[in-house]
Amino acid sequence: MDFSFTDEQVVLRDMVVKFARNELNYDIAEYEISGAFPVEPWRKCAGMQFMGVPFPEKYGGGGSDFLTTVIVLNALGYACKDAGLVHAIATQVLCGMQILMFGSEEQKQKYLPDVCSGEKIFAQAITEPDSGSDALSMRTRATRNDDGYLLNGNKMFITNGPIADVVIVFAVTDPDKNTLGGISCCLVERGFSGFEQCRSIRKMGLATLQNGELVFNNCPVPLHNLLGREGQGGMIFNESMEWERSFLPAAHLGTMERVLEISIAYARERKAFGQSIGKFQSVANKIAEMKIRLELGRLICWKAATLKDQNKRATLESSIGKLFISESLKQACLDAVQIHGGYGFTTEYPVERDLRDSVAATIYSGTSEMQYNIISRWLGL
Amino acid sequence: MKINEFIMNFIMTELLAGQSSGPLTDADPLIDSGIIDSFGIMALMSFLEEKFSIQISGDELRPENFDSVKTISSLVAKKTGLILDA
Repeated sequence: MDFSFTDEQVVLRDMVVKFARNELNYDIAEYEISGAFPVEPWRKCAGMQFMGVPFPEKYGGGGSDFLTTVIVLNALGYACKDAGLVHAIATQVLCGMQILMFGSEEQKQKYLPDVCSGEKIFAQAITEPDSGSDALSMRTRATRNDDGYLLNGNKMFITNGPIADVVIVFAVTDPDKNTLGGISCCLVERGFSGFEQCRSIRKMGLATLQNGELVFNNCPVPLHNLLGREGQGGMIFNESMEWERSFLPAAHLGTMERVLEISIAYARERKAFGQSIGKFQSVANKIAEMKIRLELGRLICWKAATLKDQNKRATLESSIGKLFISESLKQACLDAVQIHGGYGFTTEYPVERDLRDSVAATIYSGTSEMQYNIISRWLGL
Repeated sequence: MKINEFIMNFIMTELLAGQSSGPLTDADPLIDSGIIDSFGIMALMSFLEEKFSIQISGDELRPENFDSVKTISSLVAKKTGLILDA
């Protein structure tokens, strides 16, 4: 068992941190007011090849392993205070991985260079107005015709959806079959007739992340835009969730590390009753708890990523990691606000935004409740 | 133990543990009957990959490959080179 990163990974992480501190230090509060997507920071990240890290070089990627990709996202989560941008980048990478794993060679050649360069923005559409955690009970239909499929239905809260150029859409192709065999995936491009991208929905956190409703009204999808085979959507969904839950928590760990450092600095500096507040156990214990959760979170996150690099399944590890790290982040942010007292409750201090952002982490990519379900099923319960 | 017996044993003891179910044959549908759901398929694949030292990915991740003990056994036999009845 080797818990250390390679020299190259350490250098890469330092480089990402330095870049993010210098180039991604924009005023997020302005974006929170406008609700706009940070286009220029996205382009800067694209220029640094952050979206292409795990993809083969022949598609414009960096050809790195998954753990290295996780390390890059972790560094972004740490040094970039805009969790919305970090999540948008992660979504782009995850969409690319679906295309890499299940796409035809033609699809890989067509779409992956755009994933890597960030020239086009990608999204995946699973959630619907009436199906969230029970994702496979979706109603969006892809009806076969002579030319391909006709797509009808609505998708909701789709990350990158309002600004996406390409959307991986999950839809029912055979309602008579069990969900594992009745769902398929297709690639829908901006400009397809009958495809409408609604405005971004305002949220309590992750303000720069664009989430919105997608409407498909007799939207024709060519047969060659089917991702994988017909009926493979349920299996693609399962695979995608495992990668996603092995990936997104890395960003949360980065944020936790930043929140921990901010909390330590404040607890040392702030005085009360003649001493630093960090000398009071009730404050120190909160910070010690952050450190414990950060270290334990790293172990499960790196383990899941390493398993994926070994071409092994990480269903259990990714669920444990997703649950533990997202809940730990939320608790750490809540504690950080408490440690900062009245200042922590103001928008002048960044921890209140971190707290608002953190809530989403326990909801997207399968709620904490769903992760408990998966873990308990894995235990034969 | 034959390939299908390993698989049958896993399904009966892990996926159907604690559930009252009748006898299962190699040809019985597993997905459409609900014996294998979206969680069960992941547990089954983990078992197969570990037990038989194989990797199931890409185009092999199709529901029809996991539709019965028979089709699962065929997939394992194809990937391992093992003989089905051995």
